[in-house]
Amino acid sequence: MIQLDNVSYTYEKGGGVSNVNLAIQDDEYAFLIGPTGSGKTTLLRLAYMDLFPKVGKVIIDKYDSSKIKQKKIPFFRRKIGMIFQDYHLLNDRNLFENIALPLHVIGFQKDEIVDRVTESLEEIGLESKSEHFPDELSGGEQQRACVARALVKDPDIILADEPTGNLDPVTSFELIKLLEEINREGTTILMASHNYNLIKGRGHRIIEIQNGIVRKS
Amino acid sequence: MDKITFLLSEGLKNLWRHKLTAFTSIFSIFLTLTVAGSLLIVSGNTERIIEYLRDKYKIEVFFKQNISDKRIQEISKEFKSIRGVRSTTVITKTDAKKIFKSQFGEDILNLVGYNPLPASCVINLVKEQKNKLNIRPIVDRIRKFSEVDEVNYQGRLINRIETAYQSFVKVSVVLLIIILVVSVLIISNTVRLTIYAKKELIKSFQLVGATRSFIKTPFILEGVFHGLIGAFIASLLLYGSLEFSSGFILSLTGLIIDFSFFNLLFLLSSLGIVISFLGSSRAISQFLK
Repeated sequence: MIQLDNVSYTYEKGGGVSNVNLAIQDDEYAFLIGPTGSGKTTLLRLAYMDLFPKVGKVIIDKYDSSKIKQKKIPFFRRKIGMIFQDYHLLNDRNLFENIALPLHVIGFQKDEIVDRVTESLEEIGLESKSEHFPDELSGGEQQRACVARALVKDPDIILADEPTGNLDPVTSFELIKLLEEINREGTTILMASHNYNLIKGRGHRIIEIQNGIVRKS
Repeated sequence: MDKITFLLSEGLKNLWRHKLTAFTSIFSIFLTLTVAGSLLIVSGNTERIIEYLRDKYKIEVFFKQNISDKRIQEISKEFKSIRGVRSTTVITKTDAKKIFKSQFGEDILNLVGYNPLPASCVINLVKEQKNKLNIRPIVDRIRKFSEVDEVNYQGRLINRIETAYQSFVKVSVVLLIIILVVSVLIISNTVRLTIYAKKELIKSFQLVGATRSFIKTPFILEGVFHGLIGAFIASLLLYGSLEFSSGFILSLTGLIIDFSFFNLLFLLSSLGIVISFLGSSRAISQFLK
């Protein structure tokens, strides 16, 4: 479960989130919706402990932002898969190496890395492009690669920050469906988006944020 | 095991991925180690020169007349136990008479009717000593023997040589430390450039749950590889230069430059590893702070 208790965070130059209380259950697929600058990214950064609340606390699994030690954060992040609008793929490595990276970090054996990465590539339909470098892929393919990288370590939670931001409507829709499949297999998903049309009517929970305040959940 | 293989291969691949910074770093290590290596070869050979000079240091002790040969032998043994003394050679009155005859071609007994030449002892001093060889305390102890009549030694010259040698050793050490510290800073700044260029990579590592040591290791290994390559090139250059110039140096000074390529390579590689390890550790640790 992702739990935010009375969380506030303000940047030096203003903006952030204020007094957020939120609980996302295990296996839930929730959308975080709001205009640009409303605090969606801040909220996700607080969730993966890239930022720490100035007031309140974030609790995910056994990890509490008010108590966690710096050296424990890497182990906490291994339970979370992250997807970003600008992909964060490494241009000096091919697709296979990019997806394998979290597994090397965790310390998987070589054989298992090959099996898992191959499986992930098949799941996103990019098995034929495993030797390609990110700049040889389309935007949609790069974003699917990000999904595979998040998925390959079998995370409990996926946090997606505007993953459809750079994609055309058709590719965006395919990505949403891919994440729904992943969710059906038991992964909790919190996805931020400013595109309401893309997510409405899909039967998932929608959390609305404006000016750093959660208006509707 | 696979994790170690991954980190090692990351360090090696980074050499190619960060070509420009690798070149800058290797070049600065190469320059540093060439200077440091030259200094080490010079100081190593200076040590041989000082040992050669010390071999020539002598204290000549003349005994009073009427001291028996047996007593002189006993005193000679006591001289040998003095700290700083390497060996002693006794020249009895009879030996002195023979030396006189061999040098002047005349028997001294025929000239003056008796043997006025005193028995003596030549004292050689230790050669292998890092510290300044101080001859004064040795002479003072010798003079305490009532049987000793006169002590001859080149105190002022020896003192000058020893002082000059000690100054050279001190300057070399200070210079070496300065060179190494400067090179650590240069390498640290070069690696920092790589790190800033690879901010994305580090961020990605952090986001997928890499620990600090996992992020640091490839950068440190990359630095160590720079150190090894720089050391190898510096060793080759120094070896080539010395091979090329040793004949010329021998004809000019009569000195054979003593060095072994593998010793040089081992020494410079060790130095290269240490300075590049320190430089890259410093850079990545500061970045991750």
